[in-house]
Amino acid sequence: MNAILSIAKTTIGEAIRRKVLLIILLIGVLFLVIAPGLNVLSARSSFAVLISFTLGVIQLTGAVIAIVLTVYLIPNEIERRTIYTILCKPVHRWQFVLGKYFGAVGALGLMMLLMTGILLLVFKIMQPTATFDVLGEIARGPVFFFIQMSILAAVAMCFSVFASPIVNFFLSGGVFMVGTLFSPVFQDLANNQNLAGPVKMAATAIHTILPNFAQYNIQNPIINQGVTIQSEQLYYVGLLGYAVMYIAGLLIGAILIFDRREV
Amino acid sequence: MKLKSPVALGILALAVLGQGGINRALFPLWEKNFSPRKGDLRGLSGDQLLVALAGFREMIAGILWVRADTYFDQGNYDAILPIIRLVTMLDPRQIDVYATGMWHIGYNFTDEQSRSDRRYIPSALALGSEGARNNDYTYELFFETGWLWYHKIDDNYGKAVEWWKEAQEREDMQTARKNILTMALLRDGKLEEGLALYNTLLTDAEKKMADATNQDFQIRQNRDTLESNMDNLLVRMAQRGYFARKGGYEKEWKYDTDPPYDVGFSAQVVVEDRKILRVEGTWNVQPVGTRIRIVLRDAMDVNDPGFVAAGMDWDSKSTVDLDPEKDVTFMQDGLFVKNQAFYRRIDMSRDPTMYPFTKEKYFVEFYYNPRSAPPHIQDRFGFSGEGMGDKNYLNTEIREGQRVVYARLELTRDQILRQGEWASKTPVIRTVNFVPTGTSSQQEVFEVPGLRGAAAAPGQPGQ
Repeated sequence: MNAILSIAKTTIGEAIRRKVLLIILLIGVLFLVIAPGLNVLSARSSFAVLISFTLGVIQLTGAVIAIVLTVYLIPNEIERRTIYTILCKPVHRWQFVLGKYFGAVGALGLMMLLMTGILLLVFKIMQPTATFDVLGEIARGPVFFFIQMSILAAVAMCFSVFASPIVNFFLSGGVFMVGTLFSPVFQDLANNQNLAGPVKMAATAIHTILPNFAQYNIQNPIINQGVTIQSEQLYYVGLLGYAVMYIAGLLIGAILIFDRREV
Repeated sequence: MKLKSPVALGILALAVLGQGGINRALFPLWEKNFSPRKGDLRGLSGDQLLVALAGFREMIAGILWVRADTYFDQGNYDAILPIIRLVTMLDPRQIDVYATGMWHIGYNFTDEQSRSDRRYIPSALALGSEGARNNDYTYELFFETGWLWYHKIDDNYGKAVEWWKEAQEREDMQTARKNILTMALLRDGKLEEGLALYNTLLTDAEKKMADATNQDFQIRQNRDTLESNMDNLLVRMAQRGYFARKGGYEKEWKYDTDPPYDVGFSAQVVVEDRKILRVEGTWNVQPVGTRIRIVLRDAMDVNDPGFVAAGMDWDSKSTVDLDPEKDVTFMQDGLFVKNQAFYRRIDMSRDPTMYPFTKEKYFVEFYYNPRSAPPHIQDRFGFSGEGMGDKNYLNTEIREGQRVVYARLELTRDQILRQGEWASKTPVIRTVNFVPTGTSSQQEVFEVPGLRGAAAAPGQPGQ
């Protein structure tokens, strides 16, 4: 456990020092800070515009950070040969992979926490009467984006044990797009009574295997307040369970591949 | 500790099965509660589509709505239409966008004389209907769609009743807005249902007042308003002879609506110039402020089921189509009555897209429905026109259960465009009973009859 924690801490430190990540974060923060400017332009639906825009910025920035951060983690260690100094110590490969992953998620969490803090601050300045309940409601969006990005980081981590960073960037980005866009489509196909059996089965299989990023987009009722949500707590617990299962599956896959890889 | 492959594979299999099961269980919940719902995204450009589909639909919708606001401020109303459609496609839960969009489509496209383009109304209603379906957890879009029927169309109150009854079923309906359903019921001729609703609302308001720990002003005001409205309605129903007619003893007493009053409607339309009409006529009612509806529209078979006298099939669109039918001409205006006559110059020459005049023949319709009249006029004309008459143009057929005034004249395209044989002749069409009123040369004098006899001289106290 200590080995995992040590690797994770080092990974967080490395991530925070990486200029490319800081630039992405800075751009995200800049968009969050200028977001209230949109309110001046939008006399109507100003709340919806502010929240939809800022949550969108956090999600987009989070996705870019998650991919850029993770795709380089293992290939860089191999390329710089620093991996040998780690693996020659009593550190197992699975501990190395887990340490790297938790480090990446930790760094991602810190960056998303910063953006969420700025979002809440901006919102409080714009709406001084907003209570803690309202702020908590808004913060719920970024919390689930963080879980969504943790899955994305696991996807990128899994690819990073066998693919080069550039290939991994497009692969992970593609999986994110497909998992966000096509999960509902495959679900619809799987439920379509008019389709042939094999097509439905294929759709069900793809829907089951693909990471379903779409279901972490829970911002709609935050933006359009007043919507009644059914079984809300159960749904959130389910989302957490899904993330744990999916991440566990990906990390085990990554460990098994990494174990067999010549390094 | 080395991770053993069989154990790892076992955990992997469990994780894959577990996530698959959870995914299948969660997805319906997400679709029901959190999905922006399925929208037709064909109107989006490639880049918008990409970002929208990548899970940023709400964000794009917000940015587009900001753009729409800029266009509102610039008065560029045409540019707002596609944005409204895009935003509602991307995020069909933006109630404000639906409501603002309906209002914008229904009210803001006007000609140079501020007459709105009513060809857009079916689209506005379709947008409201779509919004209500997509947001059926709240009363808001049911109310807004009903309001379009009640206020803008201002004729078919039965439709407003239907929508507001749906709104009333939602728990979040504001108390003050609940009262308005009674107004629609009364205008729809459903007096007893309106009275019963007043009664229910009053009972609720009294209960609310009794339960309230503090005597909130609004709660008290709402209760008092309901009681006052109910009292007024009961008095009106009695004085207008409703109860007597229902009981079959209307002959025993003279009610305010007896005998039907002849409004003496007559009208003349002169095509002064190309697409410019001068309309004048008589309306034998003293109080100032009556508006008689005039409609100029493409002629059609009056026996066609789609024909609506002095209106159109407002509910004709089931999908939102923001392009009105470009070859249809439909002009509607209100003729303001003063000193028992009306006069108006209608200039359609500066709005060729709104008035394309592509057909050969046109109807000019005059229409007055007492159900749209203010209460002091209804005191004489009755709830549904039972106290109103007209020797020539009283009509009991075009609106079921109502007595309205309706006259239809015809013009040809050549007459309106002053072309062909009408290039040098002035077309004039009139009702059989028309006598010149001289209203066009009359000064802006309002003769308001005093309640106690002769009008007071300027500077003198009333008699």
